[in-house]
Amino acid sequence: MTRPRRRGRFTRRRAGAPARPSGSSATPGPTSPATASGRSASLATAGSGSVPSATADRSLSGPETSLLATLEDILGDDGLRTGHLGRATYRRDASFLNADPLAVALPRSVEQTAHVLRACRDHGIPFTPRAAGTGLAGGATPTGEGGRRPVVVSVARMDQLRELDVPNRRAWVEPGLVNARLGKAAAAHGLRFAPDPASQIAATLGGNVATNAGGIHVLTYGVMSQHVLAVELMDADGVVHVLDGTRAEQAGLDLRGVSVGGEGTLGIVVGACLRLLPAPPAVGTLLAGFASLEAAATAVGALVVSDRLPDAVELMDARAVSLVEDYAQAGYPQDAAAVLLLEYEGLPAGVDAGVATADRLARDHGATSVVRADGPDQRARIWKGRKAVAGAIAKRAPDFYLQDVVVPRSRLGEMLDAVVAIGERERLEILTVVHAGDGNLHPFVLFDRRVEGMIDRVFAAGHDIVATALSLDGTVTGEHGVGIEKRDFLSDVFDSDDLAVQRAVRDAIEPSGLANPDKVLPTTVGCGEARMVPEGAWV
Amino acid sequence: MGVNAATHLEPTDIGEVIDAVTQARERSSALEVRGAGSVLDRLPPGDAPVLSTARLTGIVDHAPADLTVTVRAGTRLDEVRDRLAEHGQECPIEPIGEHGTTVGGRLGTALAGPRQLGAGRVRDWLLRVRFVTGAGTPATAGGVTVKDVTGFDLCRLMTGSWGTLGVITEVTLKLRPIPPHRAWYATDTPQHDLASQLYRPAAVVSTSERTHVLFEDHPDDADAQAAGAGLVPADPPVLPASARAVVDPARLAAFRADLTELDLTVAIHDQLGLCHLDGQPDALVAARAAAERHGGALLVLDPSTGLPAFGRGHAPSPLAQRVSTALDPDDVLAPWRWQR
Repeated sequence: MTRPRRRGRFTRRRAGAPARPSGSSATPGPTSPATASGRSASLATAGSGSVPSATADRSLSGPETSLLATLEDILGDDGLRTGHLGRATYRRDASFLNADPLAVALPRSVEQTAHVLRACRDHGIPFTPRAAGTGLAGGATPTGEGGRRPVVVSVARMDQLRELDVPNRRAWVEPGLVNARLGKAAAAHGLRFAPDPASQIAATLGGNVATNAGGIHVLTYGVMSQHVLAVELMDADGVVHVLDGTRAEQAGLDLRGVSVGGEGTLGIVVGACLRLLPAPPAVGTLLAGFASLEAAATAVGALVVSDRLPDAVELMDARAVSLVEDYAQAGYPQDAAAVLLLEYEGLPAGVDAGVATADRLARDHGATSVVRADGPDQRARIWKGRKAVAGAIAKRAPDFYLQDVVVPRSRLGEMLDAVVAIGERERLEILTVVHAGDGNLHPFVLFDRRVEGMIDRVFAAGHDIVATALSLDGTVTGEHGVGIEKRDFLSDVFDSDDLAVQRAVRDAIEPSGLANPDKVLPTTVGCGEARMVPEGAWV
Repeated sequence: MGVNAATHLEPTDIGEVIDAVTQARERSSALEVRGAGSVLDRLPPGDAPVLSTARLTGIVDHAPADLTVTVRAGTRLDEVRDRLAEHGQECPIEPIGEHGTTVGGRLGTALAGPRQLGAGRVRDWLLRVRFVTGAGTPATAGGVTVKDVTGFDLCRLMTGSWGTLGVITEVTLKLRPIPPHRAWYATDTPQHDLASQLYRPAAVVSTSERTHVLFEDHPDDADAQAAGAGLVPADPPVLPASARAVVDPARLAAFRADLTELDLTVAIHDQLGLCHLDGQPDALVAARAAAERHGGALLVLDPSTGLPAFGRGHAPSPLAQRVSTALDPDDVLAPWRWQR
């Protein structure tokens, strides 16, 4: 099979593609990396409520018109959104990068999904898989290539827990099942699903598989991939490949492993078998306050090399602490420059030993307060504060830009210092939460897109945060994925041979080029400066 | 590059690996990638020239504070273990047998060690891999941080690929502290459901006589779990080494029942679905057929049996063949391709 020509097959570009939305008050200035490189990108206000209107004048190509008719036959009125408003809510994920899809398909079954993908293939129209849309890198943003607008294929309606296999401690799930719902179902049997991204009350397991999601308990339990036993991956021909990793030893290649984190570019995840673990009999949670970020980072370093690894080590800076306290009443020390949230899970003696070690190490490294949660309620409050950061920000600023970079744990202090300096230089409020045990930082850059020129400083800050992480032997994304946001940075991480090999693997698995085009791999290798707003996307 | 350049190549750096693969490709020849031979010596002999990692050795960087170690592929696993132990750290992937397994060989075959139940799959300890594809292209995937979703996850793809996609030249592994306490216990009769009654044991292996359990935890917790389950201190189990079968754990009880009909010495990793077997060739053939009936596979690691090492359960899927072809278009590497 050959990859269809990616350009020129449909010569009609979407009208004014991408058209400039009317009423936009914050068109990027000449210093925007996007416009500076001559790219079409624009500022819409989708994030703050109003909808870009420029697409009202869109006209459809012949194949597009034909495809929409076919999709309506497959999905019915209820399963297809082609109108302006219906499309508008699917322009973006939880990032601020957005683009206009051709239509939104909401299949109710694997079979319907297969029909949808075959119809797309027959019309040469790409598709963008989507679940809850909580992704933060634009992976579900329906950008196309060569003017071909993709169909968004949402798996949100395929949301059933197919089988909870308690004796074998695993679950077969549909892709639209929400992460927290699996956790709740497993808990009834004394089991737990370990990956716990902060978005777990909304994020789906299909999305977690597609992005190889992380979470708070990655340090000892590992990222999503370690909890995925099998993936049902549908290719662009609508054929489902069961990529099985249920056996203790691979017999053949671990294509399961490649599909996890494929970000929809290898096909659509239409099912998965996930590993469950026994719920820990004992849990010890500590909250420690520090007088400086540096002291907290040093304490993290000591904890990581202690004789018992904590199951979670989260760091929040003073801004984050103060913000969530009003919102979640988590009981964080308000005079601290940084707090650490630590957790040990397991059997009672081991947990107590871990907690005692952490208490001592925290105090040895300058902790000004150390509190152990006295029960499940206090533990829940402590974690609620951590998971409430994104929600609490809404009270503070109309917009935020959430970064996701990783550095080796020993460089954490340097990276935290650099983020502070970048915030000062760009005159932006940045609050930082860190999966500190993993060296994975999430700086939240607060802003108001209505303020003239502010978005440029946000981009500059984001760019500098990523560049700093790279200079410290870190990388550009730890758990949110590449999507389109980080795509062009891959040329800074990998050389052209590395990327050629990645591309060869992708093309072998998904030869049609129709699955989520334009994502993950840079379209041109080594073309120069990474752009914060890739071609075809809007902000 | 050393030794007999026609039949046995020993590159000393990645450039020489690229040269070796490229030259083999130009000659329409093949190469068998070999570490210490701890697994390959137990397969029927192949006829392709060997590309040995014997001189691609050394610990490049151990970063205790980052819980990572970077090593060249031909480095022996026990050398790495000893170095890490000086800092109280380990990577819980274990040698198979006593043949001086190399890191590259261990990852290339991804055979499970006893502690896989508690420590997780071999594939989950690999953070970054450097390799040379069958097309002679050098590539790096992953990174030295413990979390990294930058690009496709080729670390998992290379683990357990048996040298069919590329020559692994260097890896970065994730580490953990050595558990403060480690002790084997056993029951006095086999108890195949024991694993699910215990909280996260490090290993559970049942033989025909008893069930062995390894705890790696606080000694008080280990003692309490042992007492609760009627376990007494014991030696580790002796694992048969002629063959290993894997089935989906959900099929293990049925497969175990099939094995009891056969004249075999068996040790079973309950919950993992992994069985170590010793026996006559006809019994192993029957065991292989049973494993394949249950959707599994059986690997023979004893050439004296005269049996092929791989069976139908190892046959690659069409999708896997496409990936193989993408990275090794001329079938230079591991030309036996799951048939040997």
